Amino acid sequence: NMFFVMLVIFPMSIVVCVQLALHVFGDLLDSIIVDVASECHRIARLGLERKLDEEEEELRLSAQARARIADPSNNVEANGKYVVDIFGQTHPPVANEIFDCMNCGRSIMAGRFAPHLEKCMGKGRKARLKATRSSTAAQNRYSRGSPVSTYSPYSSTASINRLSNGNPRVATGECSNGTVEEP
Amino acid sequence: MLKNRRQSVNRPPTPDLTDDRAKVPTLQEVINIKLIESGEKEQLMELVREKLTDCGWKDEMETIVRAYIKKQGRNNVTLDELVRVITPKGRASIPDSIKAELLQRIRTFLVSAAL
Repeated sequence: NMFFVMLVIFPMSIVVCVQLALHVFGDLLDSIIVDVASECHRIARLGLERKLDEEEEELRLSAQARARIADPSNNVEANGKYVVDIFGQTHPPVANEIFDCMNCGRSIMAGRFAPHLEKCMGKGRKARLKATRSSTAAQNRYSRGSPVSTYSPYSSTASINRLSNGNPRVATGECSNGTVEEP
Repeated sequence: MLKNRRQSVNRPPTPDLTDDRAKVPTLQEVINIKLIESGEKEQLMELVREKLTDCGWKDEMETIVRAYIKKQGRNNVTLDELVRVITPKGRASIPDSIKAELLQRIRTFLVSAAL
């Protein structure tokens, strides 16, 4: 450290100090230049520019969408069919695409599909009557007049069905071997 | 072992094991060690990076690099090449205010390191 003390004392130290500072600065700059080049090099070699472009496009679109929401001239009140979402699209209150039910084969409107499926697959009295011939007799024996029948939970406690989440208990119609399913 | 691909970064040669004499460190090396040990180098790097990004210097450099890569073909460029491409312009286009501020800070450090 005598070295340093001498540097401070002599006037030449100022020149050396400035030179040293320049050298340090140059080192820092070189490191940063290498970092910049390195990042671009990596992106180029890995072919990541497409992803960057896609990300930029996403950001741009979402900024656009946000601007559209903020714009007071857009009608955002629930007006039946005329609600406009952030992409500028309107949707009917009931989904109106039509497709075929995979259970019974009928053409069903999408917005009406859930209630249809309830009836079609099991909760309704009529659905249960769509049984195969071999189990019809057994079914009629139980459902006539008896309050505590095997299937009464399905008809008397509709709440059970509302809880079932899309895996409704299969009606006996589905059991082709005629066995009775206990709830 | 034969290398089929171009080396992307130049490595300095491995030091010769027979040349094991104790070397006197240069002033620059000593300063560098002090900078690193005190954490000042890290802080300076962050400071410079931030300033150069904010003033648009980094974007300018990236634009130049990307243009060069596009021209040469993205699989046909080495890191050394890219560094060489932007170093002269990079050094020259540092805003004076940033350079002055950094130099001032470094000189302060040097004085405090000497005491």
